[in-house]
Amino acid sequence: MTSRRPVPRLEHHTLERLENIWLGVAIVMNVLLFTSAIASFVSGTYPSLRGEGGHHITGVQNGRIDPKNIAATPFAKPGLRENPDGTLEAFVVAKAFAFEPTVLRVPAGRPVTFHVTSLDVLHGYQVEGTNINATAIPGQVASFTTTFRRPGTLSTICNEYCGIGHHNMVTRVIVETPQQ
Amino acid sequence: MTTTPLHAPPGQASASGIPAPTGVVRQPPPITDAGYLASLKKVTQYYVVTAFLALFIGVLIGPLQALNYGGINVYDIPIVKALLKSYYQGLSLHGVLNALVFTQFFISGWLLYLPVRDLGARINMRFAWFTYVLMTAGLLLAAVPLLTNRATLLYTFYPPMQGDALFYIGAAIMVGSSLLVVGQIVLMWWNWKRANPGKVTPLVTFMSVAVWMMWFVASLGIVTEVVALLIPWSLGLVGGVDPLLSKTLFWWTGHAIVYFWVLPAYISWYAFIPRHAGGRTVSEPLTRLVFVLFLLNSTPVGIHHQYADPNISNLWKTVHMFLTFMIAVPSLLTAFSVTASLEDAARARGGRGLVGWVTRLPWGNAIFSAQVLAMISFILGGAGGVVNASSSFSPVVHNTAWIPGHFHITVGTATTLSFMGIALWLIPHLTGKRLPSMRVASWAVWTWFVGMMVFALGMHWQGLYGVSRRAQVSAAAPDVYRDLPIAIPTMLTAISGVILLISALLYFSVLFRMLLSPRVENGEQTPIPYSEAISPAGEKLAAAHPLVRLTEPLMALWVLALALVLLMYGPVLARMVANMQLVPGWRLY
Repeated sequence: MTSRRPVPRLEHHTLERLENIWLGVAIVMNVLLFTSAIASFVSGTYPSLRGEGGHHITGVQNGRIDPKNIAATPFAKPGLRENPDGTLEAFVVAKAFAFEPTVLRVPAGRPVTFHVTSLDVLHGYQVEGTNINATAIPGQVASFTTTFRRPGTLSTICNEYCGIGHHNMVTRVIVETPQQ
Repeated sequence: MTTTPLHAPPGQASASGIPAPTGVVRQPPPITDAGYLASLKKVTQYYVVTAFLALFIGVLIGPLQALNYGGINVYDIPIVKALLKSYYQGLSLHGVLNALVFTQFFISGWLLYLPVRDLGARINMRFAWFTYVLMTAGLLLAAVPLLTNRATLLYTFYPPMQGDALFYIGAAIMVGSSLLVVGQIVLMWWNWKRANPGKVTPLVTFMSVAVWMMWFVASLGIVTEVVALLIPWSLGLVGGVDPLLSKTLFWWTGHAIVYFWVLPAYISWYAFIPRHAGGRTVSEPLTRLVFVLFLLNSTPVGIHHQYADPNISNLWKTVHMFLTFMIAVPSLLTAFSVTASLEDAARARGGRGLVGWVTRLPWGNAIFSAQVLAMISFILGGAGGVVNASSSFSPVVHNTAWIPGHFHITVGTATTLSFMGIALWLIPHLTGKRLPSMRVASWAVWTWFVGMMVFALGMHWQGLYGVSRRAQVSAAAPDVYRDLPIAIPTMLTAISGVILLISALLYFSVLFRMLLSPRVENGEQTPIPYSEAISPAGEKLAAAHPLVRLTEPLMALWVLALALVLLMYGPVLARMVANMQLVPGWRLY
């Protein structure tokens, strides 16, 4: 011990004041966090999932689908589809241990509405380098709309443990320059 | 409840690393029945040793996972292959043993023993032993399918991936028996309240009871999932299972469980750590407020784990996001209080300057350093947690390697490293055996901290590039992982596995040497390290600080916690039940 003179120790009064200031800072930080998250929500800077997806799709009710009977739904032919009104919809089916379509081609700069489902267990649909991230659940449809801005090839990985081949469940999204 | 001033020369560290107190510390009522005390200590010791045996096996499997992320597939080595069918079986064992078994057994012993000693109460020891035996029986039942690769589900066990019914039944018995501890402790406390009207519940008891109440509210989700959905389904009694409903019930418990893991460490940080450093607990009223905030706010937040799941309305996802952010408040209050108590200690030991006092803390005492290093890494873990909880950041990191990076510096240090430090005085206290080497223990603790930091850095980094969580990337056929610029982070993860293996071997060598050594003294000579408080709560409720009076009615707050969780989950679950969609089970491992 080399203390030269006694150091005043912390006491109740000072601490209580500092505690209150700290509590105030914590609450303000919280409100700021919440506001910023809500702002990204409102401005649509991330592809948030629809509450209940795919109401207009044959065979889908309240976001649910019969996984044994997808033959009667657009998921029977996975891939990109252009609707008569010009909107684009991509149907993706996940199953052990691959995605269909194996390669999804989408045009850059146009909004695409994705519908993702699974035929067996839970899978994840995550497009690398983007914030596209949805759980593929058997019997349910995850729907969200996104726009790919730059052409290129993006790896798409299953990020939910789905069994012995989980690490090999990889596919590609190829974003193409739109042909005008 | 009496408090006697004890005047002893400061800075005199005993062999067990607990210095003599410098001021007024709480003297819990003595337990005079030696046979009863011995039985109470023995059952606690059984819980703690079972916990560490689980951790021992669990951490030995850990490096296999770390090397995998470094691109080294050790699962093809014949001896590993003979023991573990696959990477995923190894990962299931690692997760279940470390995250579920170690924590639950340690906490059941620790939070049974502390409040009983704190009140000097008499509990039914037959019932306490029965609970231990039941919990262990549940563990053994669940272990059979785990070890035979019939429950390779990882610790989240999401259906419709199906495991053996024995796994679900064993897990239900194991978790269910922790509720018997809840009942025993809450009842003990309630009897004390009735025998001591107008008195303030002592701090350690208050914190323990609040944690057990929180765990009760939290466990209802998983108990409902396993008992009502998974057991009948795995026995073939019903045709299918709703995966989303099951997952939602799982996360009802699944997020709050992390607070059930970390709050028992908080108890030590608040009540005991100051004593190890020679300082004082900052404020008892504030500590009570923190635990009540956790009781109310830990549970109704689980949907932030499900931002990527369809068919949950964005409104409820957002409500749960806001409530998740709110839990940062008691955590930040803890950061303030605990740091203040350390500063108080360091200044009492002659520390000076704005940050210079830090050097005066007893960094060579492994009991102390384990818990303070745990807190330091928990600051970074908590910051990452805010990222995970945010619905706008979550999609970037959800289910990537970032997530295991996150929970290894939260659960893997805040909880595990704290418990490792606590055991270094708790086992001498329970058994009368001595810690064989503070030096080796200290090396173990510091290398654990460094190893976890390196692991977390590597995993967070890879995660940002989109490397999947829980994937045997070292055996992946597609070249996607090799196209990513992840050479450095994957190498860091592999190195951390080696550091952590060395750390674990050091720690367990000390622990086992201690456990196998002969008893040399009365365990009571290593006291429960109660600290003095700068702002104590006092003994009389009528004269106490408003925060003490506000937080004392824990029974009413318990009901409020239950009401809050029903309010935040009721509408979500009601919609899922109304749209129930049963799908068949699969076994793809």
